Amino acid sequence: MTLLATVSRVRIETKRFGELEVDEARVLRFDDGLPGFPDDRRFALVDARDGDDVFYWLQSLDDPAVAFLAAVPWLFFPDYEPELPEADQALLGLERAADALVLCLLTVHRDQQTITANLLGPVIVNQQTRHGRQVVLAESRWPVQAPLAAAA
Amino acid sequence: MLVLTRRANQSIVVGRDVVITVLEIRGDQVRLGINAPREVAVHREEVFAEIQRENRNAAAVSADAAALLPAPRKR
Repeated sequence: MTLLATVSRVRIETKRFGELEVDEARVLRFDDGLPGFPDDRRFALVDARDGDDVFYWLQSLDDPAVAFLAAVPWLFFPDYEPELPEADQALLGLERAADALVLCLLTVHRDQQTITANLLGPVIVNQQTRHGRQVVLAESRWPVQAPLAAAA
Repeated sequence: MLVLTRRANQSIVVGRDVVITVLEIRGDQVRLGINAPREVAVHREEVFAEIQRENRNAAAVSADAAALLPAPRKR
């Protein structure tokens, strides 16, 4: 007997990309939204460049106009070591570092044609629960605008 | 804004679970102790504001920004 697994797909409206269909498994919940975006509680993780596992769009399901470019930081910042404050670990129910997906939001600076990553406030997602939050590494010296150099 | 005046070693209770104590006053600096449940995040306001500002900058990204991303590593 063959069992077929069905993947739930979700249709979302986006300002930048029109209508998108994403796997429900790619929908993340942010109980506190993001600083500056408290009402955006659900985001879809969308590949920015076909499955390179580095760049993603975080597209809000609550507001089609809200989206962020994000990157897994270590390709560009191999020494990056975000230390999660206890409060955030507790809020995310993170018991093992391996369960965490770390993404840094990118800012595109049009005049200089440069992109910077926010290392001071990484987005941390518990991959087991798909809950995420933006963590403020207030006690650290990580920059809020770290320039992305080309990958070697 | 609620305004309260405290001396050293006096406290303020916020909600049911957060207690802020003035530990020491030295010159123009106040040392504060925060007692809060593990899951309540506490931050210096200017750092939170910095993250908020940068998020707004980041959210201004347009769809064609992906073209500016560094080229992928050749495998």
